[in-house]
Amino acid sequence: MKSGAAALLLAAGFAGSAAADTIKVGVIAPFSGPFAQAGKNFKAGVEAYVATHGDTVAGHKVEFVYRDLDGPDPGKAKSVAQDLIIKEKVQYLGGVYLTPSAFAIAPMLEEANVPLVVFNAATSSITQKSPLIVRTSFTLWQTTVPLAKQAAKDGKKKIIIAVTDYGPGTDAEAAFRKTFEAAGGQIVESIKMPLATTDFGPYLQRAKDSGAEALFAFLPSGAPTVGFVKAYAESGLKEKGVALISTGDLTEEAGLPAIGDAALGMRTSFHYSVAHDSALNRAFVAAASKAIGNADELSFPAVAAYDGVYVITKMIEATGGKQDAKKAVQAVLGMVWESPRGPVKIDPETRHVTQTIYLREVVKDGGKLINKELSSVPDQPDWGLAK
Amino acid sequence: MDTALGIGIDALAYGMILFTISIGLSVMMGLMRVVNLAHGAFAMVGGYLASYAIRQIGLPYGVAVPLAILATVVIALPLEVLLFRRIYGGAEPLKQVLMTIGITFAVIGVMNAVFGPTIKPIPLPEALRGTVDLGFRTMAIHRLAVIGAGLAVALGLWLLIEKTAFGVRLRAAVDNPGMAAALGIRTERLYLATFALAVALAAFGGIAGAELMPIEPTYALKYMVTFLVVVSIGGAGSIGGALAAAIVVGLVDTAGRYLMPGLGTFFTYLAVILIVHLAPNGLLARTR
Amino acid sequence: MLSSGTPTAPAPPTATMSPRPSRIVRDLAGLTAVAVAGIAGFYLFPNDLGLLTRMVSAAFLVVSLDLLVGYAGVATLGQAAMFGLGAYAAANTNLAGVQEPLVMVLIGGLAGALGGLVSGAIVLRAHGLPRLVLTIAVVQLAHEAANKLSAWTGGSDGLSGLEPGPVLGLFRFDLYGRTGFLFSLVLLVITLAVLVRLTRSPFGLKVRAIGRDPGRVRTMGGAVLPTLLVVYTIAGLVAGMGGALEAIAAGVVGLDAISFERSATALVMLVLGGAGSLFGAVLGTVVFMGFEHIVSASNPFHWLIVVGVMLVAVVLFLPRGLGSAAAELQRLARIAGLGGAR
Repeated sequence: MKSGAAALLLAAGFAGSAAADTIKVGVIAPFSGPFAQAGKNFKAGVEAYVATHGDTVAGHKVEFVYRDLDGPDPGKAKSVAQDLIIKEKVQYLGGVYLTPSAFAIAPMLEEANVPLVVFNAATSSITQKSPLIVRTSFTLWQTTVPLAKQAAKDGKKKIIIAVTDYGPGTDAEAAFRKTFEAAGGQIVESIKMPLATTDFGPYLQRAKDSGAEALFAFLPSGAPTVGFVKAYAESGLKEKGVALISTGDLTEEAGLPAIGDAALGMRTSFHYSVAHDSALNRAFVAAASKAIGNADELSFPAVAAYDGVYVITKMIEATGGKQDAKKAVQAVLGMVWESPRGPVKIDPETRHVTQTIYLREVVKDGGKLINKELSSVPDQPDWGLAK
Repeated sequence: MDTALGIGIDALAYGMILFTISIGLSVMMGLMRVVNLAHGAFAMVGGYLASYAIRQIGLPYGVAVPLAILATVVIALPLEVLLFRRIYGGAEPLKQVLMTIGITFAVIGVMNAVFGPTIKPIPLPEALRGTVDLGFRTMAIHRLAVIGAGLAVALGLWLLIEKTAFGVRLRAAVDNPGMAAALGIRTERLYLATFALAVALAAFGGIAGAELMPIEPTYALKYMVTFLVVVSIGGAGSIGGALAAAIVVGLVDTAGRYLMPGLGTFFTYLAVILIVHLAPNGLLARTR
Repeated sequence: MLSSGTPTAPAPPTATMSPRPSRIVRDLAGLTAVAVAGIAGFYLFPNDLGLLTRMVSAAFLVVSLDLLVGYAGVATLGQAAMFGLGAYAAANTNLAGVQEPLVMVLIGGLAGALGGLVSGAIVLRAHGLPRLVLTIAVVQLAHEAANKLSAWTGGSDGLSGLEPGPVLGLFRFDLYGRTGFLFSLVLLVITLAVLVRLTRSPFGLKVRAIGRDPGRVRTMGGAVLPTLLVVYTIAGLVAGMGGALEAIAAGVVGLDAISFERSATALVMLVLGGAGSLFGAVLGTVVFMGFEHIVSASNPFHWLIVVGVMLVAVVLFLPRGLGSAAAELQRLARIAGLGGAR
């Protein structure tokens, strides 16, 4: 099979234009620093795709070049991207964990004739910064809106919001407030917690005194979410009947062992659970776990990277290996496929992935904490851009 | 009233963790006059080792914690002999900054490579889990334990420094290193012992505080500023000062976050500026 | 303590006493070296101009830090506050419709100078470790303020969409970053020339004297605090220009520009190059960032270990920083060459 493909490639190569036999894809991700966990997952997602589909696309060998971008430093983001485009001569860029990095790279894409497939950075407006950006992750609007609707459906009337005081937190707050108030609910207060918070006790005390029936929270996955969920469990809010609901960032699989049983029973909304029940996902999890080395570290950025690579391979197929960013992006607009997370589609208007959002609960399965999917809300667009 | 008490007790727990970790730094700065920016790295290493001992080896908490502290000291001692010893004395503070930041970078890199970037939990023993009802609010038992441990550390250090021969030498060396050496105090050994003590306290603080400050590779840099603030407000080398500073920082931070949730950080650093202007030599400064 | 009082990295005392011509020659040689190295970099590494441009804007920050740490003896971990102020000011100027990069740099510098004046007033009353902590408090407050004032800063998403016009209406910025680099380089050389002149002036000598022993200057009737405030303001100006240049080159300003981490890294670069020498500051910046770039490109996963070990090694083997290594070689060469004449 493989040699057949190689023969085809040779034929195509000789017959057609001088297509490069190796196509380079630059992957920009945090491999050190506070977000190293995400970078590791990106890499695992990429390697899982290569392991299950091979590294040859339409006769071209695809090579991935990794570059570390450890924090939200747009100046560095720009020079790393320049380095990949000019020196490594990559035809595609992927990765990008944080929003400012995506903003810094966006303006150079057209001149460089390189599409960028964003594996994470979640601010809605990113895809509007360049027509050559496609995104396979999620936005906070996308994951929050179904949760707010569900809260209203569950009969909640008064909710207090606590989000981290930075871009995605502001998005989550706005999405929840708008949706919940439109459904007739009341937001009694919304707290913005500094990114560097270590002790969440005071905020939870405030939530307790506010008289709300539930607490909606968003924090970036990692140390903050672990501290927050633990502090919630100790605060007595649960006993008082004030449920904690959140996006899946709080119960991200790599953080669950650190949170421990304090997470049990938490309801969250998200686009991907490692425990998603499908044959495709089981195969993905097996391959990605092997790539990452420690199955406990696998979580949502991996699936966005896996799908991102799939999108890039479709771009390569459509352009026949020639560098034509516009044609490449054009080719994947409206594309529909089955991802390990479920059915997905690249929305042709926003170039962002439309997907199913799941409502899940943290349960114990064979001694391991998992996000068990309870129900699903299909075909969710990026509500931040949807009119 | 209940709310005030609730905040007060949260603040006390937070302050005690800050104290336990910072006091080692304070003693080192007071005695060896070294700005050790790698102090947080030792707290982090302690946390990693404790987590590993409990989760991977399966040791019980009571065994794993002392073992992790000991192991951290054992790892750190060669660094004292090879590296730290060369930068004692405060003569070239910039060199101290460069070397200890270098050590911190290397430790972060090694921890990331060996243990991976995820947060490493340190599972608490049954006795420390759960919450107790204090009447006016519920409180996690481990927070109470942390308060107790902090007080014990303060008391133990006070006894050590005020009541033992080691303490006499230490005080002599702090007040006048040249004279102490002339009187036959072997400062080199004294420094080594103090370094070991400081590292042990950092490791213990890192482990005890892991519920509030989770153990992950960037720990070493993330909390360093807070430790420096505590030491500086308290006055380097002063146990009482560090204790007071840690509690003040804990209180201002916690109360600020409760009362003005959006402006928590502003409140803390404005307070720092105010305190430094009012008490430039530390909260409980001895007049010199 | 990490503070004034103790000489940090004093230039050899002979520097101020040696006959005038040799000083001028040495300063000119330094300026020429920066310019030549910059132009050589332009031709030798045409594909790395993005990195080189970042080095130049970082060099502004490190040089400004050197004025405070190396000359005036004020240790600070908060200088990025002025860098960030400059970056945000320049960015807002651009978004308000001003496209001329020179104007952006000017406004950035002024904003940095203002920030320097204010933070100097807050910081300089304290001494030693408390002063250092005040500098940290200043940059943390500035960071938090930048996060809150998202209308002017874009918050954590950063302020994007900058479109600097052609320099002087002639040279437009391109993908390869040629214009951006040369523009920054020219400004750096001019700034260095002015600063070298300044540090050699009577004012500069007074600053050096304060850096070595503020007590003595005070007893001799010198005004310490006002002088230091002026240095802080000038340092703010230089840092602000660097911030503006970074904003122009990146097209986005993020919160990292105004962070404690940025300040700390700058201090590391300064100490690496050797505090107390403006050219050492530039050298430290280039070496640190170049080294970081090479190591992190060859191993994106574990490069931090290598960088950490390098810093420790520098302290062990080059205790006065890289800049002094060059000076040391020069001194040895001179002794060897002029041995007979003495």
